[in-house]
Amino acid sequence: MKIQTRYFGEVDVEKEKILHFEQGLFGFEEYTDYTILYDLDRGKDAFFSWLQSVQEKTLAFVIVNPFKVRKDFDPVVETELLASLGEYQPEDLLAFVLATVPSDPQQTTVNLKAPLIINQKNRQGVQIVAENEDYEVRCRIMSEENGR
Amino acid sequence: MLALARKVNQSIMIGNDIEITLLEIKGDQIKIGVNAPKSVPIYRKELYEQIQQENKNAGKEVDPDKIRDIFGKRG
Repeated sequence: MKIQTRYFGEVDVEKEKILHFEQGLFGFEEYTDYTILYDLDRGKDAFFSWLQSVQEKTLAFVIVNPFKVRKDFDPVVETELLASLGEYQPEDLLAFVLATVPSDPQQTTVNLKAPLIINQKNRQGVQIVAENEDYEVRCRIMSEENGR
Repeated sequence: MLALARKVNQSIMIGNDIEITLLEIKGDQIKIGVNAPKSVPIYRKELYEQIQQENKNAGKEVDPDKIRDIFGKRG
């Protein structure tokens, strides 16, 4: 199906690539269907990718692989809050975190506190709030990376 | 908003399976106990609002080229 994207014009997306977030995202509860757009050169191994709403062209997020920010990323959440993911094995689950990129990109943060969890098997997703006390809503990722 | 007066150790029920108990009053702080099914998410409202707001911040328009510049070499 063809979808209109915020940054890449019209994109043809296979139906099997549509992710369904039954509860939407916090603050965007009415938008439930998304697809992930990868940058061509690195594909799924890239540091970041794009979460594009299928329903609303102007709704798109930069999403980041949390394990590239924090190697030991391991969000704690009650299993019951993952019910909307249906049946899954741990290896079926993918995690992403939303990045906030202000006009000064050095101030870029990611939201480790509220990761997106996706069941690759049935393409259901949910945004959770991790119980981990040290996971920040605004975790800076550029400062310690300077000079790399 | 429904306002109910409660004493310490008294509760209110919300539906059949959510119980909110007033546990302790100390100065201007009140300790509340919540008994609810684990499938019901419970958040401090400040955190809930902070996450909503941060999602909105994350949804603001960015320059894809700039994103590639700052993130492209990482991974």
